[in-house]
Amino acid sequence: MPAQQQHDQQRLAHEAMPLDEGGPTRAPLAGAGAGSQAATEAAVQAAARTGGVRISNVSKSFGTDESRTLVLDGIDLSVGMGEFVSVIGPSGCGKSTLLKVIAGLTDADGGEVTVDGNPVSAATKNKMIGLVPQSPALMPWRTVLDNVTLPMSVNRGANGGRSMRDPVELLESFGLGHAIDKYPAQLSGGMQQRVAIARAFVFDPSVLLMDEPFSALDEMNRDQQRMGLLDFWQSNRKAVIFITHSVPEAIMLSDRIVVMAAHPGRIAEIIDVDLPRPRSVDDYATDEFRDLEGIVRAKLRAVMEPGAADAAAGGTGETR
Amino acid sequence: MTEVRVRGAQLTATEATATVGTASAVPSGRRKPRHPGRHVPASRRWYKWRIWLPPAVTFVIVAVVWQLLALANPYVIPTIDAIVASLLRDPQMYWVNMLVTLQEVVIGATAGILVGFLIAVVMAEFEIMERAVMPLFVVIMVTPIVAIAPALVVAFGFGMMPKYIVTALVVFFPMLVNSLAGLRDVDQRTLDVMRTLHASRWEIFRDLRFPGSMPFVFAGLRVALPLAIVGAAVAEFVAAGQQAGLGSLVTIAAAQANLPVTWASIVLLCVLGVLIVSFLALVRNRVLWWSDGETVAR
Repeated sequence: MPAQQQHDQQRLAHEAMPLDEGGPTRAPLAGAGAGSQAATEAAVQAAARTGGVRISNVSKSFGTDESRTLVLDGIDLSVGMGEFVSVIGPSGCGKSTLLKVIAGLTDADGGEVTVDGNPVSAATKNKMIGLVPQSPALMPWRTVLDNVTLPMSVNRGANGGRSMRDPVELLESFGLGHAIDKYPAQLSGGMQQRVAIARAFVFDPSVLLMDEPFSALDEMNRDQQRMGLLDFWQSNRKAVIFITHSVPEAIMLSDRIVVMAAHPGRIAEIIDVDLPRPRSVDDYATDEFRDLEGIVRAKLRAVMEPGAADAAAGGTGETR
Repeated sequence: MTEVRVRGAQLTATEATATVGTASAVPSGRRKPRHPGRHVPASRRWYKWRIWLPPAVTFVIVAVVWQLLALANPYVIPTIDAIVASLLRDPQMYWVNMLVTLQEVVIGATAGILVGFLIAVVMAEFEIMERAVMPLFVVIMVTPIVAIAPALVVAFGFGMMPKYIVTALVVFFPMLVNSLAGLRDVDQRTLDVMRTLHASRWEIFRDLRFPGSMPFVFAGLRVALPLAIVGAAVAEFVAAGQQAGLGSLVTIAAAQANLPVTWASIVLLCVLGVLIVSFLALVRNRVLWWSDGETVAR
């Protein structure tokens, strides 16, 4: 528990997920992290030129020829190293499909995705992508510690020259020091999701992909986890692509918010969030935050077709 | 502010306790859990009565009805005391025959389980294999084992081999089907995490599919092991020259109208089944403590 915290509010957030910002193995900010995991000299140079995630003209459609639906239509997006980008949009806008394409789980029909200059297939081979799915997706037969070390024990070929984190220290900084020997079923939903996030951080990937990681939690818990993630990320900058349904969540966490529209899935607008960092729960109450909330909500309303309004109401109905 | 923080901490603690409380089979710390309910508080001991008393009452009623029927029909079924007397008269003979049947069950079932699981692994990894050979296995499954058994005796003689094969055959199919379902039923999101890490096929099998299939495998064993006893007994029925085994004993004693020996052998087959199923439950609790049991098809 760091004593140097100034604001009570911040301390509240740290109660949920304490940080040890001065930890000895803490990697320096984004740049060095990206360099250390590139497999070859060429990849290091490529990373320096084209760090982060670059998505250019990605399209994807599902179904047979007669009833083909375009799910992603010419998506262009760049996420720099250490940048936090949220993707928000109505159901069916293809944001989950986009995430799957970046994660290498689905092939795009056209366009290109690179992670630190590597195509996705090479990026997964080099373990450059950390995925936090919607549910914690932990293995119930493994302890918390063994779940978090999973990324180190698979695809060991990509471990060389990589600065792995100490999993115990990482779990401690996530406020899970007492739980390392427990099993997932013994943890609350919020704690399970924190384990899943730790699992994605532990192998020091170039980019973190998070698919509505807090959507299954209740509102109070969700806010606690959200602030915990924010605190951790603020001292461990990574490129993050964060899918969410919650407008306040997107604003609180992000540098930019990508608003997507559906049918076909496309980027309607990218909104800059210029709130200063580090942010805390105090920011929810500021005028700037409320203004941004108004802007994002207005944009979301605009992209929603009349029929889709009720489907998206749950996502944007969150008030503060 | 302090008050709020304390409350927050308490909430988390209570939450954690509640989670542990509901999942009683979950261990504390790294240790694997013992059987739930071994240390029952005194105030809850009455609860144990509710567990063993109802079946005990049922058994007593069945025994009384049996005894009355036996007394009324002395040439159709033996009395309970006659069965017990027969068991006590020559325990050595029963013991030897029981061991023979047990050997058939253990060797035959082990072979059936291993082959069933391995073929399920191949089918789960290569879908084309399922399409290629599953019809054949379905044909084998629907063929009555009682019909196959005599043919196998002709082919393999009166020794132990046809018994092993029949036992393995009846175990094989439920193992195959359940293992295949278990190996396929992996958590998609955990699989996504592993695929994003570029985990190899073997790593996905080792870390996810194999442990994840265990609830289904044990559900399959629960079906297959009692069947193994059926298989062993049926094989003994048809192997007229082979005199060992509880199944043989049943046939021979029945042919001689020796009711106490017939029924004593049947009782021992029951005992064998109960022992095997209990042993399975014991192993399941050890291996599958992490599964809540409700997801398992029984």
